[in-house]
Amino acid sequence: MQHGKADVQPMTSGGDAIASGSRTDVLVAEGLQKSYGPRQALRGLSFTLKAGRLLGFLGPNGAGKTTSIRILTTIIEPDAGHFTVDGIRHEHPDQIRRRIGVLPESFGLPKQMTGIEYLTYFGQLYGRTASDARSVGLELLEEVGLKDRAKSLVGTYSHGMRQRIGIARALVNDPVVVFLDEPTIGLDPRGQQELLGLVKQIAQERSAGVILCSHLLTEVESVCDDVVILSSGEVVATGTVSDVIGRTEQNVVRIRVPEAAIEESQRVLEATPAVRKVRAGVGMPGWLRVELDDAAAEDEHVNNRLLEALLRAEIPVLSLEPEGGRLQDVFLQLTAGGIR
Amino acid sequence: MWIGGKALYLMLIYTVLLGIYAYLFASNSELNLLPQREVVLEIVKVSIAVGLFVCLAIAADSFSGERERATLESLLLTPTSRRQIALGKFLAALSPWPVAPLIAIPYWLILAKGDPVLGPTALWGVVLGTLLAPAFTGMGMLVSVWCNSNKTSMLVSLGLFLLLVLPAGFGPTERAAELQLRSDFIQWLNPMAATARFLQATAVTRTPGNDLYTWMTTPALFPIVVLVLLFASVGPGLRLDAGASRMWTTPT
Repeated sequence: MQHGKADVQPMTSGGDAIASGSRTDVLVAEGLQKSYGPRQALRGLSFTLKAGRLLGFLGPNGAGKTTSIRILTTIIEPDAGHFTVDGIRHEHPDQIRRRIGVLPESFGLPKQMTGIEYLTYFGQLYGRTASDARSVGLELLEEVGLKDRAKSLVGTYSHGMRQRIGIARALVNDPVVVFLDEPTIGLDPRGQQELLGLVKQIAQERSAGVILCSHLLTEVESVCDDVVILSSGEVVATGTVSDVIGRTEQNVVRIRVPEAAIEESQRVLEATPAVRKVRAGVGMPGWLRVELDDAAAEDEHVNNRLLEALLRAEIPVLSLEPEGGRLQDVFLQLTAGGIR
Repeated sequence: MWIGGKALYLMLIYTVLLGIYAYLFASNSELNLLPQREVVLEIVKVSIAVGLFVCLAIAADSFSGERERATLESLLLTPTSRRQIALGKFLAALSPWPVAPLIAIPYWLILAKGDPVLGPTALWGVVLGTLLAPAFTGMGMLVSVWCNSNKTSMLVSLGLFLLLVLPAGFGPTERAAELQLRSDFIQWLNPMAATARFLQATAVTRTPGNDLYTWMTTPALFPIVVLVLLFASVGPGLRLDAGASRMWTTPT
């Protein structure tokens, strides 16, 4: 594969082994901003992606995720700020495109091409010879589990197969950064699980940095190493998944009881020591949101006391879980207001 | 595009249309009364016009079609420059043009019935058509760059085509000198009308070639103007969402 010249030489190739304990920064973004007329869609996006790491990109609709991805994939230019991919500055979009692979959220496929023809075509667009592109295409089809369908028309592929060949196309140039925008959308749970496994494999085996945009917070929590949460164009949280989850309020417990027992449960719990406030869950019948004192947050027996109080009142407890222990809780909290 | 694609279908339609046209000329008793050279002129003009339309139609799909099929983003994400992408599509859309005259030759031969006017008329028709084919292809692509929908792109392209082709049907008229001059100037500005006048002068009035070069000016300049506009605008103009009004639109 041929590469053009750039001001900064690429620091890695997608297949380099990463030295133990050290990972190269494959993507560094600083202060990216973008406006569409009077509306500021992105206000200062900054983050770093290391080789071999999976970064989850989260945010509600209109948060600026798509704008961010389009800037980082050189589809549009930022109004301010800069970013580098593998040491190449964003002023060289053609060089950056040689180093990245992208699976857009909605992408079409030419129905009259076979899988191998499609990958060969894109391989050639990235500068490979026809034979080289074809052999790389066959390897990729095997990697994504489509070896048996290489000669089938893409128009006959199922949705899951189309996502897989889209991922294969994103890898055709052996990228150092892979962008996957909603890769599991429309897939059944098994398909989602298989695809996420493939994504994790890409990050680990190819030592590529992977940016995963998704609305499925459970999938981001399960596969991603790091996460960036956007809200209204700003970064509201960034860090490892466990760090970000740990930043939310710890002193809230959710308890589910039969709907008929909500009021009595509320009375019982409010009378329990260490409970500051009890509210019925809005839009969630049967759920109670129990806020504990700050001191109780450190007490590992507090949940037992809450259960005991309800059981003594002969109120069946259907579920008890700490709030803030999931990425979904973090997301809802951070995108509705600020962090603690 | 050629194997089971749109170029093949359009050339088949082209062949059928020419066949119908030739049949009408051959079988219709009123049309049979036309002088042979005018019959030759008409069939050559129609062959060129429809051949140009095929190139225009394919070009009009080049970017708006990719947007509709959601395949443009994948293309824009490759290291291939916008101009290189445009050049590839331009050459692909232009590829039916050399085939069109080859398909038309049998019809020309049948309708000419051995009249020697066929030689120069056909030759000049092919020459002028070859000058205009890149222009019409470029025009279709220019429209396509700025349209999000294939339907809009096709309609606008068809409108431009009719705007250029219909006035070409109005030949020189017998009017006062001043009106004639104005009419000639308007026709000179229109590359298709200029081509029609050139061919008419060659086939019907048999005007010497030296006196006709004025009518070749617009067919020669038109493609240069269109192609300069196309390749100048395709760099900044080729976006995922088309059109200047979309520059400020939030992406979905």
